[in-house]
Amino acid sequence: MLRYVLLLIVMSTSVKAHEMVPTYPKLEPSYMQGLLKTSVTIFNKRPEVEYYEIGVFTKDWESIPFVSTYRVFPVPYLSTVTVELFIRNEDKDNTTYICSKSKLRKSYETRTAVASRICSKVKRRGE
Amino acid sequence: MSKTKTFLVALSITTMATASIGQSNDTPINGTVQSRCVIQTDTPGTYGNPNAYELSTKATAGGDNAVIRVDVTLANSYYVNITAPSAFSTSPTLPDTVTWTGDTTVKTLSDATGMSAYETNKQELGMTDKYDLTVTGSTWFETESVATLGGSRAFPGGNYTAVVTAECIAK
Repeated sequence: MLRYVLLLIVMSTSVKAHEMVPTYPKLEPSYMQGLLKTSVTIFNKRPEVEYYEIGVFTKDWESIPFVSTYRVFPVPYLSTVTVELFIRNEDKDNTTYICSKSKLRKSYETRTAVASRICSKVKRRGE
Repeated sequence: MSKTKTFLVALSITTMATASIGQSNDTPINGTVQSRCVIQTDTPGTYGNPNAYELSTKATAGGDNAVIRVDVTLANSYYVNITAPSAFSTSPTLPDTVTWTGDTTVKTLSDATGMSAYETNKQELGMTDKYDLTVTGSTWFETESVATLGGSRAFPGGNYTAVVTAECIAK
C-alpha cells in the first residue's frame, strides 16, 4: 500500500525547471568575418513557460549587441533548444554574461509568479 | 543419410552459437553531465487578502510563499539572486500607491553541513537577496511578499500578479 502512496506522490510532484548549459561558453571564430560565435542550450521543464529571451551583457550588466535567429524564441515544454549567437570581434573583451530569461504570460490569478534567469559566463585567461 | 544428419547437427550448433553471440551484445547508453544551474519553481506562491488594503503571501494571511529550488552541479561556480516583487505585473487600476515589503530566506538545504552558512552569509540589497552557492546540491529559497495600498484604501476587485525573479549567475 505504502508503495502505491509513494508512487502517487512521485507522479503528482511535477518539476518545473529551467536549465542552460554550458556554464562557461567560449567565443570561437565564425564563418563571417569580424564576428565570433558561441552557442548555449536551454532545456525547458516549465510547462507554464513557452518563450525564453536571450541577452548578452558586460560585467557591469550593460547590454551588448549580438545577432541570433531570434532574441525571444519558443522552447516547447520538455524540449531542448540550442541558440547560436554572433558577437562582434570588438565586443570580445567586454562580453561577460550570456543569459536566458523565462517570459511569463499575463495571469488571471491573484498570485506571485516566478521569472527565472540563468547566466553563463565567458571566462578570460587567468579567471 | 548419416552424413546429412552430421551436417544438420553441425549447422544447428553453429546457428545456436551465432544466436547466443548475438544475444550477448551490450548496448551502451552514453551521456555527459555538464555543470549547470537549474532553477525550479516548487511553489509559484499565492496572495491572501487578510484585510481590504493588504495582499500577503504569508500563511497567516491565507497565502502561500513562493518557493524556488536551485540545483548546482559544480561547487563555487554560481551565485543566486532572488528578488521579491516591487510592482504588480497584472492588476486593476489602483487608486493609490502600493508599499512593498519582501524577504527571501533559505527554507531547506540538501547538505545541512556544507550549506549551513548560506543564510547568514547572504547579501541583501533592497528586495534582492544574493546567495553564494559554494557547495553542489539543492537549496530551497522561500520568498515572502506583502503589498499594502496607500491610505489604507481597499484593493479593487480583480486579478493581481507579481513576479519573483530568480537568477543563477555563473561566477
